[in-house]
Amino acid sequence: MPMKNGRFFVGLGGVALVVSYLVWTGIKDTMVYYLTPTELLAKVESDPHFHEVGVKVSGKVVSGSYSRLQGELLHRFQVHDIEHEQVAFWVEYEGVLPDTFTDDTEVVLEGRYGADGVFRAKTVLTKCGSRYEAAPEELKHPAEIEIRS
Amino acid sequence: MELIAAVLLVIVTAVFLLQPILAGKAAPLVSPQAEPTEAQFRKRVALQQLRDVEYEYAMGKLGDADYRSLKSRLSAEALAAIRAEKEEEGGIHGDAAAVAEASEAELEREIALLRARISGGPFCSDCGRPNPAGARFCAHCGASLGAPAVSDSSE
Amino acid sequence: MTILGEFALWMALPISFWGMTMGFVGGRYGRGDLVLSAERSVYVVFGLLLIASLGVIQAFLADQFQYWYVANYSNRELDTYFKIAGLWAGQRGSLLFWAVILAFFSSIAVFQNRRRNREFMPYVVGVLQGILAFFVVVLLFAKVNPFERLGFTPPDGAGLNPQLQNYWMTIHPPTLYFGFTAFSIPFAFAIAALLTGRLDSRWIVVTRRWTLVSWFFLTNGIIFGMRWAYEELGWGGYWFWDPVENASLLPWLSSTAFLHSVMIQENRGMLKIWNMSLVLLTFLLTIFATFLTRSGLIESVHSFAQNTEIAMIFLAFMGSVLAGSVVLILYRLPALRSENQIESFLSREAAFLLNNLVLLGAAFAVLWGTIYPLVSEAITGQAVAVGPPFFNRVNIPIGLVLLALTGIGPVIAWRKASARNLKKNFLLPLLVGAGVVVIFLGLGARDGYALATFGLSAFVLTVIVVEFWKGTRARARIEGEGAFAALLHLVGRNRRRWGGYIVHAGVVMIFTAFAGSAFDREIRKVLNPGESVSVASPFGHTYSLVYEGISSSREPNFDRWVALLSVEKDGKPQGALTTERRFYRVNRQMITEVGIRSTPLEDLYVILADVEDFEGMVTNNPDAQRIVVQVMVNPLVAWIWYGGLIITVGSLIALWPGPEAGPRSRTARQGAAETETDLVEASA
Repeated sequence: MPMKNGRFFVGLGGVALVVSYLVWTGIKDTMVYYLTPTELLAKVESDPHFHEVGVKVSGKVVSGSYSRLQGELLHRFQVHDIEHEQVAFWVEYEGVLPDTFTDDTEVVLEGRYGADGVFRAKTVLTKCGSRYEAAPEELKHPAEIEIRS
Repeated sequence: MELIAAVLLVIVTAVFLLQPILAGKAAPLVSPQAEPTEAQFRKRVALQQLRDVEYEYAMGKLGDADYRSLKSRLSAEALAAIRAEKEEEGGIHGDAAAVAEASEAELEREIALLRARISGGPFCSDCGRPNPAGARFCAHCGASLGAPAVSDSSE
Repeated sequence: MTILGEFALWMALPISFWGMTMGFVGGRYGRGDLVLSAERSVYVVFGLLLIASLGVIQAFLADQFQYWYVANYSNRELDTYFKIAGLWAGQRGSLLFWAVILAFFSSIAVFQNRRRNREFMPYVVGVLQGILAFFVVVLLFAKVNPFERLGFTPPDGAGLNPQLQNYWMTIHPPTLYFGFTAFSIPFAFAIAALLTGRLDSRWIVVTRRWTLVSWFFLTNGIIFGMRWAYEELGWGGYWFWDPVENASLLPWLSSTAFLHSVMIQENRGMLKIWNMSLVLLTFLLTIFATFLTRSGLIESVHSFAQNTEIAMIFLAFMGSVLAGSVVLILYRLPALRSENQIESFLSREAAFLLNNLVLLGAAFAVLWGTIYPLVSEAITGQAVAVGPPFFNRVNIPIGLVLLALTGIGPVIAWRKASARNLKKNFLLPLLVGAGVVVIFLGLGARDGYALATFGLSAFVLTVIVVEFWKGTRARARIEGEGAFAALLHLVGRNRRRWGGYIVHAGVVMIFTAFAGSAFDREIRKVLNPGESVSVASPFGHTYSLVYEGISSSREPNFDRWVALLSVEKDGKPQGALTTERRFYRVNRQMITEVGIRSTPLEDLYVILADVEDFEGMVTNNPDAQRIVVQVMVNPLVAWIWYGGLIITVGSLIALWPGPEAGPRSRTARQGAAETETDLVEASA
């Protein structure tokens, strides 16, 4: 008894539906805003509820702001907006910093911006334009668009 | 030095690529070796599946009912493929009934052979045909089969 | 040599276009001479790209920093080993490397088919040369020429990123590239079949083997990448759902789907359009993977800097490949109709189909999660991030369904299985699976997904073992062979099937290892010499590590600090473990080299998170020797690498050429016995 193609397409549609549902709810529930510090502060200002929402923020570590409390595993540093340097906040992070973390790197933080004005990061990633293409300034060629400064 | 190498590279490449066109040397456009035709391929697949079914039956993976229904359908498929092959070969001309008969005969041979291999019957050393397990003399040509259960390790 | 290499790269441009044109024209007008010239041009392009690659390597070895590429990826003190690997360390070289491997595989395909599949070959050569021409155009005109000069010669290069200075870096990218490029051959044959209209089983036979080659390299490439991440990146994990990791997973998923659905076409003459589409899709996804890596459009740990030219040229290429393929399929639609229909949901083909749908569903989920940030930003203007939580949430259930199908597929009969048959074959595996779940529950494991994985893994392994056992027993009885000989002959006679089962066993091991990560333990602690840190393993014992001291040394390319810890397991000494940090002077970058003590059950993974005083510790001041360590216990990680080995063994068995077609004995000449050596395999 050959199966009607119709039934086969029902099965196909069923799988497609289930996967779409998984993807849809997955994105909805796990997606986080990816903000600059300026955007973050503006959002928190307009809606204090944002203190409880996990966000992703990219910014730059303020030179010389990094410290680790002696004997403790808590890292503390300040991050400022790449375009508006005056916009900055303190970050606290407990964990191992990435190898490429220095006092001057671009970082991507995930975590919550508390009501006390301190960003408690769950993860800290460094963002060097491209990690595998770190080209020092002295090699920079005027025509090269590839090197990010 | 590198200039010479570059010039040489260009010359060698040009000769290598243009020689077929200038000297009329051609690559074959149809395969010179006989390639299995579609009918042969289908026949192989059908027979392979038949063999798998026999094997799975022997392994105890298939029940009797499943075995019989699968087997009859696969046999029909194999028969169709064999018939197509025969028609393709053109070995038997014209008469459709003759083609059908020859195909059925071939399928029977193939199945008998399969079954003999599964059941472990000996093969005749004279005519090469399979025989039921425990046979002492070939059922096809009458030759002595010698020691029973000759197994073929080339399989 | 380097100048000659540059010259050869330029020369490859007209030659590949020549080959593409001659292939198509020769095929269309039946001109054997043009076809021969086209086929020869494939060898020529391979030779030229090889010279170009050697030119790049030579530039690295001779420290020719006047080249942008060398200056940015090497320095004088770099190990020779890594200078050679410099060919694929950066974007420019890796594109050239990609092209040369593609040319290598193309040459093999042309050589293999000198006297076979001749109808296809003109178009196969045409397509392959077209792809090669595309890559050469990219190399020469998209600002990624590896031979570009700086205009001055720096005294030293910027050095290779320290994270790339790892043993796996020399192995992981080439393996992956082998996998990506090898899939161009199935694609070329698919297009040739569509163009010639010869859409019977022939192209499938050729394609299947090449797909398996590609799949083999892809799988190993991905596993090597995990190994590298695990050893080098120092976060204790091996998979981060990074966009580029995802990009390598996509063609893996679709080619896995193809490897299964192609069996339905062979056995049942169905799914011809589906299979054709899967080949085209997989090829597009291999190009998409390059595109994602090279264009820098999506932020990733792997991505090279943003390059708009490359993004545009790749998009144009992918677009035209897609459009052309779809038109060809539509044109040949009548010839691609199915010969049969699915008879029952309870059949092997239905299980395979479901496996295909689920694999493609996973691919869709991964693709969508990867590009969603781009799409969202383009539409709403709001940047968002989609991370590991999304991918885990969607892909773990999908993976569990796949795992279950791995066990169901082999036992269920083609066409239509009866309920009794199913009960008979599934009872034991189901009992074993349930038993394992109960045991783990008893041991205190509460993670639902992990329990499901362990149960399903046990189910699948039981199915496979029973298959082997029953097959061996049947054969031993039928042929009167000893168990070992019977097993060997069983596998030898249908390599693809039994090799496939072995691959499945490897996949199961890897799934089990993934589930093990649900039980990871970690602890961070500040240590002074003589102090210790304890960490409990999920298996019940306790490790305690005593910090013995730290030493520093100066290596040619870096300074290193090595902390020594002695390990005790439940009070019994287990020897020492070192973990270190390195400072690469040229790159001015600090990196960690983790210490790993690997056992089959679990890995003890120690990260030297910080050294209190890098300068002061040599002064022997105990306070300056204070360090921060992060100690992790990662259960079952080693099973990923074991699983990879098993997959390699299984794939090699499936790939191994069948015995020569010539019969070895008189009886074998009788037709049916020949079916036992897979003719398909012997002729492919």
